[in-house]
Amino acid sequence: MHAIKRGYIVLIGTLAICKAIRKHTRVKSESDNMLDKLEKCVELGNKMGAEFVEARFDDLILRTLQRVNDVWRDIILRSRIGFGVVCFYGGASGYSFTPSDDGKELENTVSRAVKMAKASAQVASLKLDFDRRPPVESHEFDTFPVKTHPQNEDLRYKTDLVNRAIDAAREYGKNISNVAGMYGELYGRKLFTNSEGSAIDWNFEVIDLQCRVTSKTPSGGLVNGTGSAGGTMGLELFHTKGSTPEDIGKEAGSHAKEQLKAKAPPAGRFRALIENELAGVLAHESFGHLSEGDFVVNGGSPLTGKIGTRLGTDQATIVDCGTPKISEFGGLWVPYDDQGTRSSETTILDKGILKRYLHSRGTAHYLEQEPTGNCRAVHFGFMPIPRMTNTYFTQGELTKEEALELLDTGAYAIQASGGQVDDDGSFLFKATRGYWVQNGRIKEPIREVSLSGNILNLLSKVEGATKDLRILAGYFGGCGKNGQFQLPCGLGGPELVIGEVAVGGKAN
Amino acid sequence: MKYENLKDELLSTVDTGLKYARTVDNEAEFELYLFYQNRAAVSITQGVVEASEGIIMGNAVRAVRQNSVSFASSSGISTDRIRRSVKEALASLRSVSIEDERFKGFCTPESPSREGAFASEILNLSKEELIDYAGSMMKEGLESDRRIKTVGSECSAEWGGFAVGNTQGLRQASRSALNSCEVYCMAVDGEERRTGYEFDTTRERLIEIGGLGRKAAQKAVSLLGARKLNKTTVLPTIWEPTAAGAYISASLGQSASGQHVVEGHSPIAEKIGEEIANPNLTITDNGQNPSGINTDAVDAEGYPQQTTTIIDRGKLNQFLFDTYYARIHGSKSTGNCSRRARATFPYETAPLIRPTNLEVTPGSKNLGDLTTSIERQAILIADAPIGILRLSNVSTGEFSAVGQSVFLVENGDRKWPLQPVSISGSFYTGFKQLLDVGDDLTKTIFAVETPTLVFDGFSIVG
Repeated sequence: MHAIKRGYIVLIGTLAICKAIRKHTRVKSESDNMLDKLEKCVELGNKMGAEFVEARFDDLILRTLQRVNDVWRDIILRSRIGFGVVCFYGGASGYSFTPSDDGKELENTVSRAVKMAKASAQVASLKLDFDRRPPVESHEFDTFPVKTHPQNEDLRYKTDLVNRAIDAAREYGKNISNVAGMYGELYGRKLFTNSEGSAIDWNFEVIDLQCRVTSKTPSGGLVNGTGSAGGTMGLELFHTKGSTPEDIGKEAGSHAKEQLKAKAPPAGRFRALIENELAGVLAHESFGHLSEGDFVVNGGSPLTGKIGTRLGTDQATIVDCGTPKISEFGGLWVPYDDQGTRSSETTILDKGILKRYLHSRGTAHYLEQEPTGNCRAVHFGFMPIPRMTNTYFTQGELTKEEALELLDTGAYAIQASGGQVDDDGSFLFKATRGYWVQNGRIKEPIREVSLSGNILNLLSKVEGATKDLRILAGYFGGCGKNGQFQLPCGLGGPELVIGEVAVGGKAN
Repeated sequence: MKYENLKDELLSTVDTGLKYARTVDNEAEFELYLFYQNRAAVSITQGVVEASEGIIMGNAVRAVRQNSVSFASSSGISTDRIRRSVKEALASLRSVSIEDERFKGFCTPESPSREGAFASEILNLSKEELIDYAGSMMKEGLESDRRIKTVGSECSAEWGGFAVGNTQGLRQASRSALNSCEVYCMAVDGEERRTGYEFDTTRERLIEIGGLGRKAAQKAVSLLGARKLNKTTVLPTIWEPTAAGAYISASLGQSASGQHVVEGHSPIAEKIGEEIANPNLTITDNGQNPSGINTDAVDAEGYPQQTTTIIDRGKLNQFLFDTYYARIHGSKSTGNCSRRARATFPYETAPLIRPTNLEVTPGSKNLGDLTTSIERQAILIADAPIGILRLSNVSTGEFSAVGQSVFLVENGDRKWPLQPVSISGSFYTGFKQLLDVGDDLTKTIFAVETPTLVFDGFSIVG
């Protein structure tokens, strides 16, 4: 708390300097007006007695296009515009928000946040203070450059992408009962300032094209196939080999067709080869969440107090990075979190040894680590909390053939439909399809397969990783935590050979 | 805005917004939805306090011209923001011609049903009271047992409402107030970590926090000392109400949707009148249960909410519809249009179909009788298994989940807690293999009121 108080005294001066620099170096823009409003919120919060104030403004556009069979089901555009204010007092925080930019309403918003913080401080027995730091100022290059920004193409261009994917799916599918194509884009400005005088202004962007085919088996059962491509990229992505609408539709159609003859996997404990996307779900759901600082601080995570402990094999290295090499691996671009901390590359698990957690400023200070730029919110209506950015296993040295050989006999699980983890490390994640592998050779397709176990146990069974790293991100889906759902996150990895995992198939 | 005037003020804004829309394009049809909610929430986890308070408000516009339909929403209900949505919705219509021949117009006006129960005390809940409640629950949980190492608690209070209108003359609104609390306790013994959870969510009174922390702690502690099942097998499973609620929500909550039926996703699409479950099973969607958390006078497009029997003594009786899918299917809306997919900010969701409050008719056996009626081994599932809600497949009906709060039952006796087991099978085969329905009707957090259900035939890996 003392550190924050000292920070506050210095900050007023810093804030004024930053403001002066902006006014004298460029023509005042709309974002400067919003930054002015944010700065006023910070000043007001300080005057009302807050020890530290963070204020942010989101101006985001979300577009969803969905065609089901021959009908356009959704032509949707959402505008998310509003302010969020966090006030800190006595080691506790209060949050409030408003969609309005009216001065009086902003005052009310700040007032609510200050009052909530002060009331909370009276019962807070575990204080999350943090150190004063130099102000952060963003640069133009913080926004990821794309060739064709989605705002520069019209709606017809995007509906055409969906139509092409569906046409391809129909061409390659069989016994189709339903085919759906979806396009999504999320982009817009994110502004931030705080009591330290930080002035951050950057543009978020993510696009996604997906196709899903449902086919009917001769016995009347239904099976699925999916294809997708997305991430922080321009629309040029859909001209790239493997990511064209035709490729995406073909993938969905042909996989649904293959599933028509797939069998339910056997239930039991087996060896497994998990493909890149599933490795990502494992990294995100099963390990990433447990490494989030708030779970660690409150003792809810089984990773609490285990820094320096061996939790996995040498083959298991997990990283969270807000600014990955997107052109090489794919992913999502998050240069700053919603607390104004610059993103970093955080090695959470290094060759099986737990090294770091993912932090807000408060959790970092409490656990005596550096902030990692992981304090994020879905939008202005929510308080930022420790979340992931792009979380992935790093590459190994195996080729695909060597991985199958190492697997020997077991399940080859492909494409994720999601995953979930609980406080004790129990996880479940689902592959939408897969193959049964015998003696290192693919034997037959298997239906949707679920893999479950305990993450700490599973990490000790990672036997090998392939050379190919892929990071997947998109508009659809997303991460949920504490009621904040659909935060875009990237996840990925190479293919991983796992010594044993529970397969939830059909028992005899 | 005040609760008393909320409907009038929102309806007036709807009227003004629709008039504006018509001035921009008098050939198009419009629907305007407004949402306004005051919300305060406090969470305390091991003494870390986070609190928030704000007004969630937003608008959504659907515009239609020549069977082309578009949707635009924006934060706020000011004139500027509503106009922005109108313009965006029209811009979509103008830039591309995407016809939906199945669209036959917006919801037509009908008399509204009743709003749910209302407790005025909820409006006066202060942030200090919420903080106090959350602190008390945490303290009770921590003091219940020395093995309870981590406790998290949360309390919230909200009040507000929505209004919807369209250019076919419909003007409807509904209000509600809700308060809620939840507590989870983690018991730790060596490397073993187990959690227990309790909650109270109600619209008809203030939340009752007494005993919740203690019960959550007891649940967590009861799971310590878990043994491995150590086999892969098929066994009967006893789903206590919270687990059963998750099962019903993940299965019928999805497949009974008229959207999935019409679009070819639902495996029960062509089974009206057929026996799809044990005759002991009756499931109703009750949008008029006064204490139901999703009860409103009208649904999200302004159609009166009602009561619909989905499964009647084992036979599939009815699907759930909004106006759009009802017309395609040749049925009537059942008042199940919803915007709850983005629960906290519903105005961002285009209309879809969701159950309101699902209710399972109770049987006559208590949990003890149900347990003793099983001669061989069985698995008792005390809480919602991981993955059952978010990772189940509506098309295939196949599910696989991890039961964490599970106990072995042998020769009619509850023996000991088990380490997490994988439970998998088909929801619909499960309904047919339903062995029994308990009498312990319980409200669950999934807006499903259900007693214990006993199924046979699921695969267990432990």
